[in-house]
Amino acid sequence: MLTRDFLKLVGLSIAQRILPPSLLSLWAQAAEAQAKGRKVILVTFGGGVRNSETFSPEGLRNIPRLAALRPEGFFYKTCQNQGVLSHFNSTASIVTGNWQRVDDFGFEAPASATIFEHFRKGLKAGPLDAWVVATNKSFASMGSSSQRDLGLPFGANVVLPKQLLLDAVKDIVKQPRREDLSDRDAVHRRLETILQEGYEGVGWTIFKVGRQMDKHVQVALTRALGEFINGPEAPTSGDELTYFITREVMREFAPRLLLVNFWDMDVAHWGSYSLYLQAITRTDRLTGMLWDEIQANAKYKDRTTMLILPELGRDGDINTANGFLNHRSGDPSCRNTWLLALGAGVTKGMTDRPLRHVDVAATAAAMLDVKADGLLGQPAKEIFF
Amino acid sequence: MPVPRFDFAQVPVTFAAYFNEQLRGWDTLFPAEQAYFERLGKYLEKTDAKLFAALAALEPRMGVTLSNWPRGSFTLQQVDFLNRNPLYPEWRRVITEIFDRISPELDAEVAARGQPRLVIVIGPSDLPVGPDRMWTRLIGKGRRVSLTVPDELTQYLPSLLASSKLESLSDLCAASRGPYSSWAIETASNLLPYSAQATQLSYDKLAPYRQRLMTEVQKIAEAGEVRGPRQLGEKLKTLSPRGAEFSKDPVMSEFVRATLLAGNGTLLVNNTFVEWASVQALRRAKPVLLISSFGIRNKMKPFSSLLIFNDQETATAIPTQADMLGSYVDLEIFYQYIWQEAGKYAEYRNNTAYLFLAEGMDEMQLIAPPDFPLSAHKLTLADLYRASREWLRLG
Repeated sequence: MLTRDFLKLVGLSIAQRILPPSLLSLWAQAAEAQAKGRKVILVTFGGGVRNSETFSPEGLRNIPRLAALRPEGFFYKTCQNQGVLSHFNSTASIVTGNWQRVDDFGFEAPASATIFEHFRKGLKAGPLDAWVVATNKSFASMGSSSQRDLGLPFGANVVLPKQLLLDAVKDIVKQPRREDLSDRDAVHRRLETILQEGYEGVGWTIFKVGRQMDKHVQVALTRALGEFINGPEAPTSGDELTYFITREVMREFAPRLLLVNFWDMDVAHWGSYSLYLQAITRTDRLTGMLWDEIQANAKYKDRTTMLILPELGRDGDINTANGFLNHRSGDPSCRNTWLLALGAGVTKGMTDRPLRHVDVAATAAAMLDVKADGLLGQPAKEIFF
Repeated sequence: MPVPRFDFAQVPVTFAAYFNEQLRGWDTLFPAEQAYFERLGKYLEKTDAKLFAALAALEPRMGVTLSNWPRGSFTLQQVDFLNRNPLYPEWRRVITEIFDRISPELDAEVAARGQPRLVIVIGPSDLPVGPDRMWTRLIGKGRRVSLTVPDELTQYLPSLLASSKLESLSDLCAASRGPYSSWAIETASNLLPYSAQATQLSYDKLAPYRQRLMTEVQKIAEAGEVRGPRQLGEKLKTLSPRGAEFSKDPVMSEFVRATLLAGNGTLLVNNTFVEWASVQALRRAKPVLLISSFGIRNKMKPFSSLLIFNDQETATAIPTQADMLGSYVDLEIFYQYIWQEAGKYAEYRNNTAYLFLAEGMDEMQLIAPPDFPLSAHKLTLADLYRASREWLRLG
């Protein structure tokens, strides 16, 4: 894969290569010193989901895990996306705390500083301390902004697991006498080959020196892929891979700030309501599994706040072009989503007061005790103890 | 009909641009659309400038200038400009308010020339539910009607859609009101024998064209020449059906291309194609008779389903499996969307009968004006045919 393709896919790539080892060492010490500090995990229902299929009375059956967790946390019935209703701009608004109006398809970095940059610069956090794991393959540049004084050197590592899987499947499909896609071993072999030989294609941004991939990272990723491919159910979902990669990142690197973007539910564009519902339920299950991992992982238990929200809604059934298939109408079904806060520092309750997507970064900053200037959003004051 | 000319000097550029874009594609518009734009154009020419006062005030605040919005132009950059503008929600609201003012007057003209219309939506026979769960989103909109159905499933459509003399509803309607007045849209080819003179669309029959489009989309995506869906759409405008892929009718040729490329999953999922084509037919062609017949979609296959523009049949040896339950869930919401779409237009309000059926099922959901000529007792499909024919005044 050509470098320019890689850069297009993964965005961040050079931070570690251009920084001197002494600075990396300092970062490591700072990370160690703050190892007992608060951690924040942002989970987005990417692709967009409507209230009617989630926290409405008739939607609760699609999200049994979140419905059960809701009493344990603080629930905002309304969290508004007042910005551009594209995937990239929606999530970029969440992570920057300012409404973003950059390229809809990820060809530009967010214009405002991300929470990752505020966090890493403000707390002198190391490169392993902020991660983005995204199913949406256009999120390569989600980890840092185009701000000159921040940007790449302070950004998050961005991992695009689905792109890795896509590349493996594509390669197998293209072989003249190809191994069949039903052969899990074949896909696994191909994935490992990509990791060992062509890491540039996987959306992985952790490098030690030059073009050598961090061995630790490679082992962790390979293990996650093996579990994914050989899991008890035939894996069909990019989000399942995103979950496994996220879990490995948590177990191996225990970052303090992590964005997990699930995206299977964007299958709604295909016009299959049943597949859309299945994806919602899968995301609910995977989000529940992430919460279970937090509880089971000593590095996270009792010190982690998880903020869960859809990046946008989808068009309502009435008076729009084609209901759940799309998400650009700007109607209330598109803009009004919800937010569930769980874990450390979060009180229990529920409110009608609308939150905004731009308030999420400010809330995360407050949780992490990071000073973040220039945010339009305000911390979600109701959730704090 | 020649392209009409209008004086839009008083119409703000962001509104006029949309209108001019429609005029540019005049030759590919259906007669119903041309008639609408004629009415709209004449209305705008004579309307009071106050109608556009809010939009005229908003455009400068959005940064609209003669240099980025020269009169008569409408480009992808301008679409992006609108979408990413901080005042875009307000712009949409103002546009909606303008149409809220215009539409009742234009609709009144249409309603005055109203005629009975009929929408027949047929579900497949293999759905794993009974009549009590078939049309749950439409409960309260009409009533369930008992049917006596033929013992042989193969006799269901012939009994419903044609007389014993093989006079089909679709062909009678097309013969009396023109081919665009009668549409038959389906996943398979079951309606074809009963709609020879009507406008026919079959997902299966379009397979060669769909495959060509998918191949081209994949090529373009892999070449990395386009930045996003809008640019891709522009590039794909050149890929019209050719040869045996569809008719020589430029209006239908463009309709099929747009349906397959602008309708999200229409290239990939048979029922999505039927739903979106039906919605677009209602919106654009305003048929007097629309028959939409759904099928069962296949399950997505592991891994290969990630490569959406690959041929799912050849990408894996895993056998293709029908997704009965998934199809049922998909269709239940599509029934609602088709019914709802028709209700948006004056042509269909208060004078349209909707028959929701499933092949072989001994009940149907009927939503119809009180004067739709059906008796209350248990009906045969032939009764339904006769009532439909009488309703549409097809002799």
